[in-house]
Amino acid sequence: MANRHIYLDHSATTPVDSRVVAAMSRALTETFGNASSVHGFGQQARAAVDRARREVAALIGARQNEIVFTSGGTEANNLAIKGLSFDEPAHIISSAIEHPSVRGVCDALEERGWDVTRLPVYENGIVRIDDLKKAITTRTSLISIMSANNEIGTLQPISEIGKLVAAKRAEGQKIWFHTDGVQAVGRIAINVDDLGCDLLSLSGHKLYAPKGVGALFVRRGVRLRSQSVGGHQERERRAGTENVPGIVALGEAAKLARDEFSERSTHDAQLRNLFEHLVAERIDNLVFNGDQKHRLPHLSNISFRFIEGEGLLINLDLQGVAVSTGSACSSGTLEPSPVIRALGHNDELARGSIRFSFGKDNNEDEVRFAVDVLANSVKKLRELSPLNKPSVLELQPLNSR
Amino acid sequence: MSYSSVFKEHLANPRNVGDLANATAVAEETNPVCGDRIRLSLLVDNGRILEAKYLAYGCPPTLVSGSVLTELILGMALSEAESLTRAELIDRVGGLPSRKHHAAALAIETLRAALNQVAQVISERQQIESR
Repeated sequence: MANRHIYLDHSATTPVDSRVVAAMSRALTETFGNASSVHGFGQQARAAVDRARREVAALIGARQNEIVFTSGGTEANNLAIKGLSFDEPAHIISSAIEHPSVRGVCDALEERGWDVTRLPVYENGIVRIDDLKKAITTRTSLISIMSANNEIGTLQPISEIGKLVAAKRAEGQKIWFHTDGVQAVGRIAINVDDLGCDLLSLSGHKLYAPKGVGALFVRRGVRLRSQSVGGHQERERRAGTENVPGIVALGEAAKLARDEFSERSTHDAQLRNLFEHLVAERIDNLVFNGDQKHRLPHLSNISFRFIEGEGLLINLDLQGVAVSTGSACSSGTLEPSPVIRALGHNDELARGSIRFSFGKDNNEDEVRFAVDVLANSVKKLRELSPLNKPSVLELQPLNSR
Repeated sequence: MSYSSVFKEHLANPRNVGDLANATAVAEETNPVCGDRIRLSLLVDNGRILEAKYLAYGCPPTLVSGSVLTELILGMALSEAESLTRAELIDRVGGLPSRKHHAAALAIETLRAALNQVAQVISERQQIESR
């Protein structure tokens, strides 16, 4: 087993900040009341939930009453899209690189008779506004495009989309705009008014809060149908007793993300840039995936030619470095990363892609160690690979006669 | 299930990696669905496998199955190698999750393809000698 443990998978989940743990612990022990109860214990819990709501709202430039707490990003995405698609089937526009929690809901809508347009991305991993303009019809009632991609970190032109939607609305079209902000919130500056979105999903565990809590921003005036009934919580948008400790944790994490925003994003970008510089110096035959300018500051996605991502991932893990791959091979079925395929890359590049995502607790020494381990692992796997060797036909004795 | 210590050891230190310059047979098989690939080179003399080397591209079970296979068949009589099964290889690897059994199947398929070539080479030699 490895002696060192270096976590470079912050886009999958973040460790919980000790200050968030402290706030959550107080909520578990001291603020245990039901926030709907009228007695003092309940009112204490209500006050804690309200404080958290203010912090989450402040992080994204929203009003307090525009925040609906959920169990996480997936529920927020489901609530946003399903909550706006209860009328007769119409037309929804999304992108080819959405998170499965958006992709899956769009697929389900399609089965219910909705028309779904999945905008392509190009080699840079970004949708084009012209494609969106062409895709919008008079039947289009919802656009759901992520703020930043979870695998390659590319930033989508959200504020341009917001302007386009506002123009369509000014013409009288009933059209809403949702963005999955799970990867973006806390990593880049987000202001829902600047973006012009009507709904935005976010998740606690990408922000140094625990799993099991997230939120959906719902702009005032958007009529959203709750997906769970049987309670009046969250302004009739999500029935069920509030997860007070989780919400308090998310509130504390949102406050810290706001207070430490510039320090964190500078730190993460410096580590990411150092990492990429060292990788490019030491390893050849690789492709940095997605637009290198318009992307999240903490994330790097690289395809290594001649080797497969899962093999590299497990090799790194055995040496103490934790990363992600978008590809999976199970039951003999190839599932190369759909995001890397959407960039126009072949299966070999899609299978050889690895995501490295940095966080506030990483340091330069860890980056240098990770690059050492990575370079050695890539070298070893390439020695093992038949893809960069002479063809088998050249070696077969039967063919040489 | 998590991978065995044997599995991890072979992944960290794959055995018998490469091509054999003087191979009796070289077979390469690809899983057409997932793209995993194994190349196996054998040097055979007097009905026994004297040397075996391999190359592999794919998920860790494929890399490990190739490595364990080469160790397993070194010194083996051809008849014994022919009877090796996927289940035996999985057992030697220390077990694989069922969704990864295809990796061991690919290794055995590559072995069989190489042994077929060996049989052809032997048959050709015998024909030449009998003339």
